[in-house]
Amino acid sequence: MGSRLPPAALSLKQFLQRQKVLGVYRSMLRTIRQVPDEADRKYLRDWAREEFKRNKNATNQDAIRMMITQATNHLEELQKSLLLAKS
Amino acid sequence: MIKNIQMFSYNMAARVLQQCVRSLGRPSLRLCPVNLALRAAVAPAVTVHRPFSFAADSRRTRWLGQSRISSVGLLCRQYGDLPPLTLETIKDRVLYVLKLYDKINPEKLQVTSHFMKDLGLDSLDQVEIIMAMEDEFGFEIPDAEAEKLMTPEEIVQYIADKKDVYE
Repeated sequence: MGSRLPPAALSLKQFLQRQKVLGVYRSMLRTIRQVPDEADRKYLRDWAREEFKRNKNATNQDAIRMMITQATNHLEELQKSLLLAKS
Repeated sequence: MIKNIQMFSYNMAARVLQQCVRSLGRPSLRLCPVNLALRAAVAPAVTVHRPFSFAADSRRTRWLGQSRISSVGLLCRQYGDLPPLTLETIKDRVLYVLKLYDKINPEKLQVTSHFMKDLGLDSLDQVEIIMAMEDEFGFEIPDAEAEKLMTPEEIVQYIADKKDVYE
């Protein structure tokens, strides 16, 4: 029985990865909200947007995984700095 | 930083006022919201360092002690709260936020326009849009539900659903 999926459908792994990327982007935006200065917030938002958009068309799963890890590291750094700044 | 503290204490004042007036069993008291808010803003850091402790009985008694209850005997309660939401206002606010978004062409924007199919946005933009909605309406939208909201119509429905707005 032939597959009825449209040709552009993602495989399960790709789908999960896509969800993860969107999750990281969302967490990043939420963390950036907590930055005290408005100009810094704008700069960080634009930076995050640029980074994600630049790599939007990557197809190699390993490369994507590396980028997700990088993004998560950036996110954790940002969160730690915010914690330090608040105390 | 000072401005943040003042805004924070003003918000706290509005909320605690609501709580206080409701929990007061005496209908004859009239608490003027403006005075209390000002007093809270002026009050030193002590009030600020109590995060959301609504069961702040000490705060209530302190305010009652401090505030000169202007005219006792008037059955008038003044609550501090936001204006009630209606489907119309939700729709207007959603469309307003969308028009401010730089990647959307305001002329093409309809209530039923699909972000990806009609407006040519991608999923990252959709995440940004939902974040903007969270900021506008002041409550968090979880990931699982956020990724399904693909038209302004759906966003309005979702918000009305969460905020119990019926019409």
